[in-house]
Amino acid sequence: MTAAPALEVKGLSIKFGDFTAVDDVSFTVERGEIFGFLGANGAGKTTTIRMLCGLLVPTSGSATVGGLDFSDGGKGIKGKVGYMSQKFTLYTDLTVGENLDFAAGLRKLEPAYAMRRRKELFELIAFDSPLSTMVSSLPGGVKQELSLAAAMLHDPEIVFLDEPTAGVSPASRARFWALIRKVTALGKTVIVTTHYMDEAEQCGRIALMRTGKLIALGSPDELKASAFPGPMAELDFNGPAPEGFLESLKKNQGLLELSPQGMRWHAAFRDKAAMDAALSSLPAAAARTLIKPSLEDVFIRLVEGIER
Amino acid sequence: MTGFNLHRAAAVARKEVMHILRDPFTLVLVLGLPVVLVVFFGFAIDFDVKNLALGVYDRDNTRHSRQLVSVFESSGYFLPGAVDSPAAAVRGLDSGRYSAALLVEPGFGREVGGGGRPRVQFIVDGTDNSKAQAVLGYLPGLTGAALRKFGATVPADPVPLKTRFMYNPELNSRWFVIPGLAVIIIGLLSILMTALTVAREWENGSMELLLSTPLRPAEIIAGKIAPYVGLILAGVFFVNLVARFGFGVPFRGSYLLFLGGTVLFALASLSQGIVISVVTRQQQLAMQLSMISGLLPSLLLSGFIFPVESMPAFFRYFTMILSPRWFMEIARGVTIRGAGAADLALPLAALAGLCALLLTAAFKKFKTDLEP
Repeated sequence: MTAAPALEVKGLSIKFGDFTAVDDVSFTVERGEIFGFLGANGAGKTTTIRMLCGLLVPTSGSATVGGLDFSDGGKGIKGKVGYMSQKFTLYTDLTVGENLDFAAGLRKLEPAYAMRRRKELFELIAFDSPLSTMVSSLPGGVKQELSLAAAMLHDPEIVFLDEPTAGVSPASRARFWALIRKVTALGKTVIVTTHYMDEAEQCGRIALMRTGKLIALGSPDELKASAFPGPMAELDFNGPAPEGFLESLKKNQGLLELSPQGMRWHAAFRDKAAMDAALSSLPAAAARTLIKPSLEDVFIRLVEGIER
Repeated sequence: MTGFNLHRAAAVARKEVMHILRDPFTLVLVLGLPVVLVVFFGFAIDFDVKNLALGVYDRDNTRHSRQLVSVFESSGYFLPGAVDSPAAAVRGLDSGRYSAALLVEPGFGREVGGGGRPRVQFIVDGTDNSKAQAVLGYLPGLTGAALRKFGATVPADPVPLKTRFMYNPELNSRWFVIPGLAVIIIGLLSILMTALTVAREWENGSMELLLSTPLRPAEIIAGKIAPYVGLILAGVFFVNLVARFGFGVPFRGSYLLFLGGTVLFALASLSQGIVISVVTRQQQLAMQLSMISGLLPSLLLSGFIFPVESMPAFFRYFTMILSPRWFMEIARGVTIRGAGAADLALPLAALAGLCALLLTAAFKKFKTDLEP
């Protein structure tokens, strides 16, 4: 039973009329992973998640979720997954208790079991306000955490979180990610979408999506290594960059990527020798620092590499 | 509809009740608005003609002519005012000061006393045809009353025709209007309630969450409709209380039959609301569509004001697909005529059929799959 991977997706595609929202996506997610979907709005992250939750029927391809397929109309899968959608958190005109009772009712949970789960989850998210608190009076971050608790009330194996931290404060975002790690420590698999690079860094593996296609897949380090096999330097000209130098640098065969980062520039090279050769003519006033590429650099390289 | 689970439907219904209880607006709308409207319209919509200004030119001025005028006055239909010439009476009609005029020429009293055929002239403003019709309807009764007062024998008609109005002997239009008005308000509110509550779930994204659980569409529909059936029944109860004790509208038929008809009508209207909300998926649009589809046909084509029988053939057939038209027959039949289930078999069957049709449509439209 536990031998089956959490997700096994093969050639998943969905079309809405002529528009292909998700195009031939295949990947596997192991149990206990934090698996992230990174991409811009409209890249197909949410649509992929919706298909895996049984909310959309794929045009082609197959998927198993928690070892089950969709041959029963997704009934079995719906019992194994918890889903937290992008827009909706909880009914704001109801109390915390009423929202959770409703979630329990939808899953036909025994009252005693639901109460026990509620206690466990309140402990997990460190929620200690009374059950009679109106959801509308809670801060955004707490609503988000409670929403996760509601999605996990039936103890799902796999939790889908669609942009769970959209619109909450940076401090709440950090808290929520600590919570996600706690959830995977319990043996759950978490599938999360985001367009925050710093959040993507915290995922075990990332699927990079662009216009419906999966363009890269791997751990943050793997993605960085494959996008930037050579070293990367941050160039600080301590003022405006000399045009002549940048022009000649761009023509250099050893250069992989040159992108502006505020006042500085990130330059990636094929290898160390190429870098030393290219930067030998660096103006004296400029400083160079060897840096590790960020996921943002990876994103720019992979996405723009396709656009070129 | 395999796998319908009562527990899950009940969970949706419980949540819906919470929403209703938290939102006083809904409660006031369903429980208060019908009562308020029935009270307002009960006073304002009165097709009975009363206290009409009557210009009276009495050149005869005898005991008998004065008795005639007093018969008009004491009927309650007219407020007589004296004018000094027939021309003045006509001017009064022109200016709208009088709705009718009564002209008694000299010799009226003598004719009455002498057993001749006394004659008076009666002029009616025909601008408002329904008012004029009503006034003309009063005349035979009034002249008859006057003749009896004179002690004269009422001249025998060649064909003695005695008219008796059954069920509503005084032709009190409130008895007709109030049950009909209740039908329209209840229908409109039912459509609006489900249209808004389901559209709200689409709008705030919670429908997606509901569909990600094992919840079936049929359970959502049942859970959404059930609380509102209860609420609508409470609203109908209050309206009937007001109709009966506020306006003296009788309730002659079976409560159970009326309840059955109301439930069918509420189910049909609530289903219509669900169809609207699934199609629109936005509260604003759902509201507008509910208003148009819920108000116009029921106001104009249900027989509320204009009798279905006298409509052109196309509209007469068209009304058959409108649930308010059938419930209108049931509501008026049961309350005023005391009609039984056998008398109302056709409207009941038609209403049940429409109800089943709309419920099926709501279910079919309620797709499991979300479009982005």
